[in-house]
Amino acid sequence: MSENPIKNSFQIQYEMLLNAIPSSVLMVDRKLQILSVNENFLIKSQRSKDTTVGRPLADVFPLVILQSTNIEESIRNVFHSGIAVKGQKMTYRAPGVPLRIYYYSILPIQSDQIILIMEDVTEQFRLSEEVRRVERHLASVVESASDIVLSTDIDGRILTWNSAAEKLSGLPTQDVYGRYFFDFCDANQKQMVEQIFQRMKTSNAAHTTEFNLLTPSNSGTILISWVFSPMKDDYSKTVGTVVVGRDLAERRKLELQLRQSQKLTALGVMAGGIAHEIRNPLAICSSAAQFLQENQISDDFQKECAKKIQTNIQKASAIIENLLRFARSSLDTEMIEVDLISVLKETIDLVTNQAKVQKIKIHLSLQRNSIVVSGVPGLLQQVFMNIFLNAINAMPTGGVLSVTVNTVEDRVIVRVIDTGVGIPAGELDKIFDPFHTSSPVGQGTGLGLSICYSIIRQHLGSIQAESRLGQGAAIIVTLPLL
Amino acid sequence: MGKNILIVDDEPDMCWVVSQIIQTQGLNVVTAYTGEDACFKLSKGNFSVVFLDAKLPDMDGLDVARRIHTMVNERPRVVLVSGYHYRDDPIVRNAQEEGIICCFLAKPFSNEELIGILISLSC
Repeated sequence: MSENPIKNSFQIQYEMLLNAIPSSVLMVDRKLQILSVNENFLIKSQRSKDTTVGRPLADVFPLVILQSTNIEESIRNVFHSGIAVKGQKMTYRAPGVPLRIYYYSILPIQSDQIILIMEDVTEQFRLSEEVRRVERHLASVVESASDIVLSTDIDGRILTWNSAAEKLSGLPTQDVYGRYFFDFCDANQKQMVEQIFQRMKTSNAAHTTEFNLLTPSNSGTILISWVFSPMKDDYSKTVGTVVVGRDLAERRKLELQLRQSQKLTALGVMAGGIAHEIRNPLAICSSAAQFLQENQISDDFQKECAKKIQTNIQKASAIIENLLRFARSSLDTEMIEVDLISVLKETIDLVTNQAKVQKIKIHLSLQRNSIVVSGVPGLLQQVFMNIFLNAINAMPTGGVLSVTVNTVEDRVIVRVIDTGVGIPAGELDKIFDPFHTSSPVGQGTGLGLSICYSIIRQHLGSIQAESRLGQGAAIIVTLPLL
Repeated sequence: MGKNILIVDDEPDMCWVVSQIIQTQGLNVVTAYTGEDACFKLSKGNFSVVFLDAKLPDMDGLDVARRIHTMVNERPRVVLVSGYHYRDDPIVRNAQEEGIICCFLAKPFSNEELIGILISLSC
């Protein structure tokens, strides 16, 4: 029977409240004896009220905890100083129960007591451990990658820079942190890179490109293939850019070898036409020289013979020079201003012999006499050489090879049209694949058009084919005008 | 003989060289630069020998030789002159076996070789 029903009702409510909260609450006196505990503590420690209340702390907590946390000393200090201790960590394993982790606080209260509040943070702790583990894993993925992986803020200032980036550029992270990424690009590509970062602010799509990265340690540059992707936060707001880059040196080396071997194949195809074309001037020179050896020839005839010899030596030499220019190793891959019309004319000169042998007429139709593009002359010549030779091969019994050049807005479009066998509809989308060939085994490598495709892409252009079986084919090359 | 010799080659200097050699033998020479022109001249004139280039801009030299082979009377003999074929080229051998050409002269040739052929054909 209670003296004060209102006070009693409060007490009951508080007791309910105390028992309902998921934390353990203990009241301890100056002698370190437990005065009261809530339900949660009894459940977690698997103890009864009788074996807990009125007992010293040392009887209730395992010795190992008392020693490792030094909690008794902490409580004495709180009694002494009156200053609370908050947020200490304690790991506790009751018999038969998995390890639990607690944060505890020791709060001084009136009447010479303290409250020990223990909060079970095992789950939170486990989650943050998991987050840390995932973070560590992701970090090591980025660090172990042989590709450059870097992140920037929304304006392109570098925030992270992985080991591959350090290794390839020779620049340690501390030298690049906070600096604009485009400061590490070739001077003439800076503006283009800056624009990509501008685009990333509003774009959802990745942007792929190739440009040089400065390597200040050896005052050079390396060509890298880059992918820029916008980095979004949880609310899909763009907060930065992720940039991944791959060193193209190795790939370029392989491409070079491939182009070179393909070129030799093309030279083999041209050999017949070239033999014919060189033997003509040789035969003329040979006969004219024999005339000169004869006695009693007139001065005029002598002069005529000498002139014929000279002209035809020049003719043969021009054929050889064209051939050499085509065959020489295209180690020079620097993009320069190129007159596309000159490239086309030179290439047509090279295949004229072969075309003549196969009774093929070549028509070149031009809008202008000079069209300047940015490119590698040797590579562009290889592209058109391949296309022309394919067209010539498609017309074994003669025909017409038309080359038309038109400029539309900022592009130049070269159409190479033959009147040959054409390409079956099903093969049209395969012709740019490596090793696709319609030639009999041993006669075509199937690499010609795939090399054209990679060269034209490198020149930021496009290449496509149109054809109907039996009605000839058209290869259309589009390049940006300078 | 009194008959003419036809030289068919799209290279004018080549025609000049062959003409010079043949003219030393006191023979008359007519030149044609295309297969079509050659066929036209063959249908009009009276030729004993044709020096025929294997690769002409409009047709194959051997096609011209085949047309000559179908001519009814006074068929001229054909000498294939080429830098494209080689001496024991199967194409050349077949054409000889078929009888559409009587001999083959590889470019470059010596002037004596050409004269030798003219003599062997008893021009």
